[in-house]
Amino acid sequence: MTKPVVSRQSFAARIWRRTLDGVGVKFGLAWVGVLVLFAVIAPFLANSMPLLMSKNGEITFPVLRYLSIEDAWILAAFFIALAVSRLPLQGGAKFAIFLAGTAVAALIANLTVQPPALVIYDDFRGPEYTQVDWKIMPPIPYAPGDYLRDLGSKGLEAPFASEGHTHWMGTEENGADVLSRMIHASRIALSIGFIATGIALAIGIVVGGLMGYFSGVVDMLGMRLVEIFEDIPTLFLLLTFVAFFGRSLYMMMVIIGVTGWSGYARYVRTEFLKLRKQDYVQAAIASGLPLPSILFRHMLPNGVAPLLVAVSFGVAGAILSEATLSFLGLGVVDAPSWGAMLDQAVKSSTFNWWMAVFPGGAIFMTVFAYNLIGEAFRDAIDPKLSRRNGGES
Amino acid sequence: MLTYLLRRLLLMVPTLLGITIVVFTVMAASPGGISAQTLVGGMDMKPQEKQALLDYYNKRYGLDQPAPLQYLRWLNNVSPVGFVTDEQGHKSFSLRKGMDLGTSFQYGRPVADILAERIPVTLLLNLVTIPFTYALAIWIGMKSATERGGAFDVGSSLAMLGLWSIPTMLAGVLLLGFFANVQYFQWFPTAGLSAREALDMPFLPHCDDSGFVRGFLLDRIWHLVLPVICLSYGGFAALAKLTRTSILENLHADYARTARAKGLAENDVLWKHVFRNSLLPLITVSAGLLPSLLAGSLIVENIFSINGMGQLAVEAVKGRDRELVLSITWISGFLTLIGYLIADFCYTLADPRVSYD
Repeated sequence: MTKPVVSRQSFAARIWRRTLDGVGVKFGLAWVGVLVLFAVIAPFLANSMPLLMSKNGEITFPVLRYLSIEDAWILAAFFIALAVSRLPLQGGAKFAIFLAGTAVAALIANLTVQPPALVIYDDFRGPEYTQVDWKIMPPIPYAPGDYLRDLGSKGLEAPFASEGHTHWMGTEENGADVLSRMIHASRIALSIGFIATGIALAIGIVVGGLMGYFSGVVDMLGMRLVEIFEDIPTLFLLLTFVAFFGRSLYMMMVIIGVTGWSGYARYVRTEFLKLRKQDYVQAAIASGLPLPSILFRHMLPNGVAPLLVAVSFGVAGAILSEATLSFLGLGVVDAPSWGAMLDQAVKSSTFNWWMAVFPGGAIFMTVFAYNLIGEAFRDAIDPKLSRRNGGES
Repeated sequence: MLTYLLRRLLLMVPTLLGITIVVFTVMAASPGGISAQTLVGGMDMKPQEKQALLDYYNKRYGLDQPAPLQYLRWLNNVSPVGFVTDEQGHKSFSLRKGMDLGTSFQYGRPVADILAERIPVTLLLNLVTIPFTYALAIWIGMKSATERGGAFDVGSSLAMLGLWSIPTMLAGVLLLGFFANVQYFQWFPTAGLSAREALDMPFLPHCDDSGFVRGFLLDRIWHLVLPVICLSYGGFAALAKLTRTSILENLHADYARTARAKGLAENDVLWKHVFRNSLLPLITVSAGLLPSLLAGSLIVENIFSINGMGQLAVEAVKGRDRELVLSITWISGFLTLIGYLIADFCYTLADPRVSYD
């Protein structure tokens, strides 16, 4: 995300406090928070099986039996993150504990969680699950992959158009519930945005910083690398990689990240070219500071403002990239994705407004939220530019 | 400066080679190669015929040879100077052999012909969009920066952020659905760049016995309205925000205060001093404009069924049409490089502090 690279805790804390001042950023964080919550509890929020049911006096949790390894891991990671954030430790230590914890959780989940290989959604509407003493269903009683063939779904029905079963946001072309798919798709959108941008930013800052600082030959070689990566359309790389490795979400994250760093490198380079002859940089060099210290401690905070504008658009851009690929039919195959759903709004001869408004609205809100957060970060880091500081001139 | 430009032009060659090497490697590494679907009429061929055609293509493009050899062969075909083989099989070096982009597997036509058809369409879309985008963006950015904290600034900033956040596909789908579909307002055409009958009309609108005739020009504009809106709003919002940021950075700089102190009119301070110094980030963004000729119109062309480069790129990638993919990459790479060259040159014009020597 758009976390500023800062060296001292107090500075980071100050920035964080200033960032939270605005109204927009609160809205943005709230929306991302809701998405995170949806992503974590998606199986309990939208699923075809009962959460809890009692049959002949025996209480069972059907939804737990069908949890996938991924579901279990995401739940574990969420609670580890909650627990770790309460610990009175340094930021780095917290992060290390979190990483170790999630790795252990992944291992345990892989060993212990064994969901049934085949889920037949018809069964959940059959006697085995309906003739019970009592049961608690999830708020949205349809799984994202539940195509409702047993309910005679014809696909692409407007909200509340179906007889006998309620779809808040209608159904998609295979008859699955749109709201359910959208809740599950928030996982893809969130993870793509975070991870792809993280990869891109890390590569971009290092390469761009070195290029701008050393100039000359390093700059020449670096610029060739930047250009090569900028010139290859992400789409070509993605599809050919997808053909080779299968349509994997993780592959998409890496490719969007690896192809997206060149813009950041360019911004950092331009700033560093301006900064490298400044007195304080020369002083830092003269006093024999190590290179990483000069680059990241002294030069970067002064050149970070334009970069953060780029980053704030970058997270949004990564989400858009995934949505675009899915829209063009090049995305992940089985997993629900907002972009893929948006595609169905125009696919048939009629205009299915609910397929445009709801998934498209979700993409818009997420991108907007990230942009608002990035905006607030920039204002906090560079108070000169802050709108809140008033119009003195 | 001249030596710098010359050096940069020469440096474009290895970069272009690098691009094609990366793309060629990825494509060579992916399994499959030519399949029946990618061939013209491949679906309704007899097995022997299909095999014969596959063999022919494999031999024609040397697909049975190792990948590095294939690459060198392709490169030799594409480069304007290189080796030619005459009828007797003698190889000789020629300076005037011309470029051969190859034949598309999917369409069974020379790639150069297909590109010549598609490029003007995308160019038209973008040439209409760009000036419009820039003028409006700089005006709004300047106005909101000078009235910082005012109603216009807050309002326009929020509006720009909102506009930027609307995905092109959403805008396209909504515009198409509400303004071109029979279900709602059928004000604009749904697809293409001109109506069939408009091709026979005279260029300018006029009136004759049958009443008002739209004419080719008006018909074209009518078709362009929705695609151009889709193409322009995102870039325009981003540019306006960027203009505002970079002008604000310079507005309170010492040199601006000095200029004001010595009695320059505020307008002169703004446009001659501050604006000029705020150009750097704008130029950086413009460098990406030429390659976005292809990328930006990709979705728009897809939604509005316009047969331009963007749609060609999607078709080529989906059909794994090697010659077409390589040629599009080659051309977009070339456009990008030219864009950067112009941008780097403009840096030195706009800001004498930046020097490459």
